[in-house]
Amino acid sequence: MRRVAALALALVLPVAVAQASGPRLTVFAAASLAEALPRIDAAERYSFSGSDQLAFQIRQGATADVYAAASPKYPQELYKDGLVAKPVTFATNRLVVIVPRANPARIRSVYDLRRDGIKLVIGAKGVPIGDYTRTVLDRLGLSDALGNVVSEETDVKLIAGKVALGEADAGFVYRTDARPIVGKVIQLAIPSKAQPPVEYQIAVVAASHHKTAAGAFVRRLLSPRSRAMLRAAGFGLP
Amino acid sequence: MFAAAACVVLAFLVLPVAAIFLRVAPDDLVGRLGDPVVRDALLVTLKTSAVAQVLILGLGTPAAYLLASRRFRGRSIVLTLVELPIVLPPAVAGIGLLAAFGRTGLLHTSVPFTQTAVVLAICLVAGPLYARQAVAAFESVDATLVEAARTLGARPGRVFLRIALPLAASGLGAGAALAFARGVGEFGATIMFAGSLQGLTQTLPLAVYAQFDRDFSLALALGGLLVAVSGAVLLAVKLLAPWTRFASTSPFLSAPSASS
Repeated sequence: MRRVAALALALVLPVAVAQASGPRLTVFAAASLAEALPRIDAAERYSFSGSDQLAFQIRQGATADVYAAASPKYPQELYKDGLVAKPVTFATNRLVVIVPRANPARIRSVYDLRRDGIKLVIGAKGVPIGDYTRTVLDRLGLSDALGNVVSEETDVKLIAGKVALGEADAGFVYRTDARPIVGKVIQLAIPSKAQPPVEYQIAVVAASHHKTAAGAFVRRLLSPRSRAMLRAAGFGLP
Repeated sequence: MFAAAACVVLAFLVLPVAAIFLRVAPDDLVGRLGDPVVRDALLVTLKTSAVAQVLILGLGTPAAYLLASRRFRGRSIVLTLVELPIVLPPAVAGIGLLAAFGRTGLLHTSVPFTQTAVVLAICLVAGPLYARQAVAAFESVDATLVEAARTLGARPGRVFLRIALPLAASGLGAGAALAFARGVGEFGATIMFAGSLQGLTQTLPLAVYAQFDRDFSLALALGGLLVAVSGAVLLAVKLLAPWTRFASTSPFLSAPSASS
């Protein structure tokens, strides 16, 4: 009986907390924010996916209150079309190469990715991580490595998952994606000269019914407390 | 009352398919078929589906004949195991294939991310559909004809080739067509087990998924192509088996949707 009561309390409490701090927001966010955002604000409803897919869903009329993307491209496009309020940059990131801890292909640096027979997994074109990865390879003169790509994924977590599982030999992800799977993968740095500027932008969705609360969410994300938590998760700050 | 319900049902079922063709002008739709993404996806789909079909028919037919003609302990359990993948969510099939054939899986193979992986995914989700239909087709063959052939001295192989196979042919054909359609539409298990790469593992359904937020009209063209393939298969089923007991409907229309 006591257990039932405890369970009931556990189910009711979060709802009560959420109600106390205003409406529960629906936040569309880049997959690479999947660990950081709920830690900063656990009360909201999150949908994590590729930034491009989320932008498409907003265009199709999905009911989101806030949109946080891993690139300025899609927030700015939506802003131009009047679908979101003016986006602000709230975090930055860097790309890394990850390989499974067992490192079956013996990859020691990003330059090994050109070698024949490596199973490389990257993001699809149009997905921010996919576009950034192509920029990196281009700047390093490693575009040959695209011949080793065995799968193009629709968000960064699918890349991280396939490497962590050991099915892929290597993958390009954000530094922050390597953290939660640190026991399963080895990180290889990418030279600074090849790093593209990775900027995360957030905006209130124009069709939101909770614009005030959504605006407050955005401001909370820019607060010193949130910035400290983003930094702790491995993000850079603008 | 009944007519109204029938109209609602029909409108609901036809609308999404019709919308694919209404959203884009027909000549634009045909024009997009020349796009390399479409061409590659079509080739990958046809190649993997053809190989899978050979495996499904080649191994499934004798296996189904055995299951239909023998009575043994645990037969119903075996039949249930064969049918299980039909009702299995494709995502579960995908994770199961990774756990079994992945590099870190039970068998430690390097199958993931290859066309072989696409073929295996198709075989797992579409094969049981054929097997179930084939068992039913062989079971419906008149046992006295088989018995007569046997008493006249025909060996089991000859009974199978000359009696059972021709008599079950229309049922087998219908099963093969439905398995083919299910295989062409395979999505969930493939994207998890084989990944998605244009020209290698990106089949038509995977291409629709990859394109829908980037180039909607291209995704629609791919969708139209899949509708055409599926429609052709359904037509083939109707033409193959009009004289069998499935007179007005195709067998196994209750099979899980190919797009899930």
